[in-house]
Amino acid sequence: MLINILNGLVYGGLLYILAVGLVLIFGLRRVVNFAHGSLFMVGGYVAFAVAAVSNFWLALVAAIVVLAVLGVILDRFVFRPLQHEDPIATVLVTFGLLLVLEDVVKTIWGKDFLSLAAPPLLAGTVSIAGETFPVYRLMVIAVAVLVALGLSLWLRFSRIGLYVRASSVDPVTTGMQGVDTDRVSAAVVAIGAGLAGLSGTIAAPLMALSPSMGSFILIDSFIVVVVGGLGSFTGAFIAALVIGQVHNFGIVYIPWAASMIPFLLMVAVLIWRPTGLAGGRA
Amino acid sequence: MTTSAYAIEGIDMTRRFGGFAALDGVSLAVPHGEIRGLIGPNGAGKSTLMDVLTGRAQTWSGRVLMDGRDISGLGAVERRRAGLARSFQRTNIFPDLTIDEQIRLAAATAERDNSDEVMAELGLADLAHRRAADVSYGDQRRLDLALALVGRPRVLLLDEPAAGLSMQESMVLAGILRDLAGRWGVTVLLVEHDMEVIFSICSRVTVLHLGKILADGTPDEIRRIPEVVTAYLGSSVE
Amino acid sequence: MTDIAAAPSRSRNVGFPAVLAVLGAAGCALPFLVQSPLLLTLMTQATINAVLATGVGFLLRQNGTVSFGHAAFFGLAAYATALLIKFGLPAELAIVLAVVLPTLLALLLGVVIVRITGVAFSMLTLAVAQAFHELFLKWRELANGDDGMAIAFPAKVFGLDIAIFQQPASMFLVCWLALVGVILGLWLLARSRFGTLTLAIRENEERARYIGYRTVLPRAIIYAISAAVCALGGLLFALYNGFVSPGTLHWSLSGEALIMAIIGGPRLIWGPALGGVIFFFIKNAAGDFTDHWPAVIGITLILVTVLLPRGVGGLLVWLGRRAGGGRGE
Repeated sequence: MLINILNGLVYGGLLYILAVGLVLIFGLRRVVNFAHGSLFMVGGYVAFAVAAVSNFWLALVAAIVVLAVLGVILDRFVFRPLQHEDPIATVLVTFGLLLVLEDVVKTIWGKDFLSLAAPPLLAGTVSIAGETFPVYRLMVIAVAVLVALGLSLWLRFSRIGLYVRASSVDPVTTGMQGVDTDRVSAAVVAIGAGLAGLSGTIAAPLMALSPSMGSFILIDSFIVVVVGGLGSFTGAFIAALVIGQVHNFGIVYIPWAASMIPFLLMVAVLIWRPTGLAGGRA
Repeated sequence: MTTSAYAIEGIDMTRRFGGFAALDGVSLAVPHGEIRGLIGPNGAGKSTLMDVLTGRAQTWSGRVLMDGRDISGLGAVERRRAGLARSFQRTNIFPDLTIDEQIRLAAATAERDNSDEVMAELGLADLAHRRAADVSYGDQRRLDLALALVGRPRVLLLDEPAAGLSMQESMVLAGILRDLAGRWGVTVLLVEHDMEVIFSICSRVTVLHLGKILADGTPDEIRRIPEVVTAYLGSSVE
Repeated sequence: MTDIAAAPSRSRNVGFPAVLAVLGAAGCALPFLVQSPLLLTLMTQATINAVLATGVGFLLRQNGTVSFGHAAFFGLAAYATALLIKFGLPAELAIVLAVVLPTLLALLLGVVIVRITGVAFSMLTLAVAQAFHELFLKWRELANGDDGMAIAFPAKVFGLDIAIFQQPASMFLVCWLALVGVILGLWLLARSRFGTLTLAIRENEERARYIGYRTVLPRAIIYAISAAVCALGGLLFALYNGFVSPGTLHWSLSGEALIMAIIGGPRLIWGPALGGVIFFFIKNAAGDFTDHWPAVIGITLILVTVLLPRGVGGLLVWLGRRAGGGRGE
């Protein structure tokens, strides 16, 4: 039972790191990046390539850096030019990017499943309540906690963080305060994409790498973001914890209907609160 | 049918945002057929009052009566269907529909369809088949008013209908409003910054300040209250 | 604002049904002119795709929302046909229910999810598609998982030989007439008061309430109607192929349907159908010389969104107006 809860935390942690990137970008740009799952996937593959010639830790850093750069490019050439358009345009363009990125990865690395080994330092298991549990998975939970802590400190105390928080509550007023929105936005999208790279890398030893690995987790992270209340950091954190648990519960106890549980939970939350857990205003 | 002397009545209306009371125990009653002006500086609570009366506000306390009937529990849609219409501070129309389409759509929820009459009275008949997005700002403001007026509502709440119009356009609009309200027996509560408009068509004026009623009287009485003049009327009234 | 979902040109002229009737009749002549069975097969599949795209496009046109989940209704209709026949229902009843059940499901689901607007709605629709895809993939006892299931049609349905639905030449006629009927029906609906009301809600939901309309149910009904059109597409697919697999429910099919609608131009009732046909034939042509179909279609989507937000259909209308000297509306 405890092991199941821990496994739920592992998946919830991955979801949180991915979803919070979506929340960051939404807070500033009011758009949703449909290619976010692809960034997760590209992160995994970049780590795979770098790990092949060095080690896991260098691969982790490389994936974050490469994805952050991709984020800056994404902001400069997609989000910024489309910022005055209907958000649907950004949805469609990033959906197009999703198809392109999957195809590019398929061309470079092929369709076959690849695997990235966990670093030797974390390869062992520990005994928890009489059962064994991989150390690596504990590390994933720890990373998610660190990301949550780091982000909340950053949002509370840094200048950009304050701006992002204000903007996610009221973009119009914030936009009038004379901050260089384009630079802040590039930084924020870079962080969001970098987090997708981090998530993709630490997920890689847990799941097989494939060009379509991003779409599955993208959908769950969307559920997290909407259930949490679009644009809410706290909401995303709580929703990721809950979805992580129910996802894992479903896989263990009713595998044939596992995918229906997060979906039904989402529908139930939206009947109860159409704006999501943390959504105050309609 | 009339069971009350007042067409629209708000009793002890309060609305708080956190610790701040945007509306603090305001009571207001407008008799049948009156055009009542509502003035006050920005943040006085005028739009909040409109929101409470029309069912737009979510959390508030107090009561709202129409013809003596308590409509506090009704939502915005039911209140409109009961004959309480409103317009908005910002132009609030359907840009992609033609003027004819949207006025007929609005008329369809009322007991009687007087779309043609409203379009003729407001000078929109010639523009009927144009998209609302394609007509001038002045025409859009009159369309906004037409959407509220069609179907002859019993009570009309107007939030700055003359905003952004030239003085001449404002006075034309005021004339139409006074004329139609008189002929159709519509009770009007009018929020407006343009004091020319207020004093030319309102029989009584209520002054709102920091969520409370500061003064209430005929235009002449209001004009004579010194703090009203210095604070809100400024130089717009000599 | 882009024009992706804005300003559908409301054809006021009654010339539209006439043009549609001519095109419908012309289409009916095709099976007699085209001799190649391969081409006829492609045409039939393209028409089924066009029905699916029409459903997705109608939602975008009337509600202004983008769905990545309409393959769910396409696939559910196909699975409903297969399963209901397997459970012993008469094929005729199964065929009717195959469209009715997904439509009812969409109405119930719609009441919940249409309250979520804009991009959040699109995010949810992906989850809709995913949930049903995984259910049919994983619940092997019900639907045989990834292997899919053959549909045990009887020799005759509605008194017609089943072969009529499975031979490309005759099935093309059935699909073509279904498509023409759907477009005519949606065109009439869009011109009705209900059509105007839903456009008004799309334009300005708040004001719609203040002129006295409830706004959730009309949007849910549009969602259900668009789902019904996709379910009809799924039924045609099931009849034609006699086989259904989880791929019919996958979000990538929803995505393709959406891309067809965007390419064709969702402001027009008939735009998505045109997009469906274009998409299908490009896909087949591209398949002959490149393995990078997903990238091709992804780049196409980006280019059309940015450069041609009214789609090919919008371009045709514009060209037609220029040629006709700006006649009519």
